[in-house]
Amino acid sequence: MQVYLPIAEMSVNLFFLVGIGGAVGFLSGLFGVGGGFLLTPLLIFSGVPAPVAVASVTGQVVAASTSGALAHYRRGAIDLHLALYLVLSGVIGAFGGVAAFALLRDAGQLDLVISLGFLVLLGFVGVLMLIESTRSILKQRKGIVVRERLPNQHNWIHGLPMRVRFKKSRLYISVLPVLIIGLFIGFVGSLLGIGGGFIMVPALVYLLRVPGNVVIGTSLAQVVAMMAATTVLHAVQSQSVDILLAFCLMVGGTAGAQFGASAGKYLRGEQLRGLLALLVLAVAIRFGLSLVLTPADPFTMAVLGGSQ
Amino acid sequence: MRFLALCLLLACTLLVPAHGARLISQVSNETIEITSSFDGERMNFFGSIVPDAGAEEKFVTGPFHVVVVVLGPTQNRVARQKTNNFGVWINTGQVEFSNFPSYFHVLSSGRLSDITDITTLTTNYILPEAHTLVANSSDWWKSAIFGRQLVRLMTEEGLFGVQENGVSFLADNFYSARLTLPSNAPPGPYLALTYVFQNGEIIARKSEGFAVRKIGFERFLALSAVQQPLLYGLVCVILALFTGWLGGVIFKR
Repeated sequence: MQVYLPIAEMSVNLFFLVGIGGAVGFLSGLFGVGGGFLLTPLLIFSGVPAPVAVASVTGQVVAASTSGALAHYRRGAIDLHLALYLVLSGVIGAFGGVAAFALLRDAGQLDLVISLGFLVLLGFVGVLMLIESTRSILKQRKGIVVRERLPNQHNWIHGLPMRVRFKKSRLYISVLPVLIIGLFIGFVGSLLGIGGGFIMVPALVYLLRVPGNVVIGTSLAQVVAMMAATTVLHAVQSQSVDILLAFCLMVGGTAGAQFGASAGKYLRGEQLRGLLALLVLAVAIRFGLSLVLTPADPFTMAVLGGSQ
Repeated sequence: MRFLALCLLLACTLLVPAHGARLISQVSNETIEITSSFDGERMNFFGSIVPDAGAEEKFVTGPFHVVVVVLGPTQNRVARQKTNNFGVWINTGQVEFSNFPSYFHVLSSGRLSDITDITTLTTNYILPEAHTLVANSSDWWKSAIFGRQLVRLMTEEGLFGVQENGVSFLADNFYSARLTLPSNAPPGPYLALTYVFQNGEIIARKSEGFAVRKIGFERFLALSAVQQPLLYGLVCVILALFTGWLGGVIFKR
């Protein structure tokens, strides 16, 4: 069944849209990431114009993360105080990201920056996560009891000035690293069309030492709020949010996220992180190849702004 | 003296058309409506070649050739080329084409090279390549290369095309042409230009307009995205939050 997308100005199969929304939603529920880093490239590959894909996926990420965030909220697994700091700095970063997006698109270098950004970011995060999760899985196999991190195990980052107490996370740390993480994810997220959950989760775990039981909930809450702001920003600035496209993806995404969240209960934390690391690395390699391999067609075309 | 003779000759050719024919034509759809299930639209162009008003003969005698050119709304397009720089493929060259047609199809009753010569085709913008001559670049060689590539890319998207058997004659002077507008045809005003050729010369021409536009809910959405962007964005977010919440409620165990 074909459905016409009014902003993308093309018709797409409805089941295809709901299907990829569902598949990506499953992964987003499983790992606590928004899934934008998979959905945006998939849409672009299926012919949706890149600006429309990036802007509409932000709307879908909101929906996919909302159900997950609510589920975690009911379990009391969100540190709202910490999320608030992340969101405020994230929105400021998103302003910068949306502006940079427009600049790069006009210069014709958006593809390059997106590919490079995904490669560096995903490659770095993926390798780190893979090393860490493999190490802890191996340790468990050998029968070494891995002790849960104690709340008072602080590193130098926590010692920076302007300390704030985050009760739920049992942390008393400087807000500066929190704000910097938020700012960075806001900028990168709106530029690359991703929620940034896959950066947020490791950043919270490894840099801030947020306990595992509130990491995914807090990350999801931050993604909901920041992506909601980014959707409005894209709608106002580039007017390329396709509400029908976003809605089709949302319907599949929310359903998939529920199954993903329940499947996640059967896997241990380090196994989840290991799988996410593999997924992240696969996408990074795909983008890396697109930069290095000879393109099938060296010529591309685009419509410039100001069409009549 | 020679100048006067030339003027006289020119005036004669202008005043007395070579064959005294005119074209009566019709487009099957004046508006093509894009609804939620829009998946392209088939349309017909037909017409007949008749003697000029006031001419004495009842019929015009062929053989004729008919070329129908369908032009979509214009856009500013850019063609870019990737080159390998130290192992990385980067967009390094680009040429802009202003007011480039977003849709361009030529239907003809025979091979274009048999119908007329290249100059006539180019000056009347019947060839796709003719539209690339308006590149915003001082380097004509680069423009020519990028123009060819742009035409190729547009053809691959189904937005450009030449069908040299697209027009068929049902009688000596009655033709019909069929065109399937693809689902990615950009909305806007379209122009159908019909040329009648005889012995390589244009003896009659006519242009008709038709519109491709969104109607109903699609039109409402597209308009609100432009006219009320803030409200549109907020509605989109509320819809997302609601869908997410509803999904959680439905699938709650």
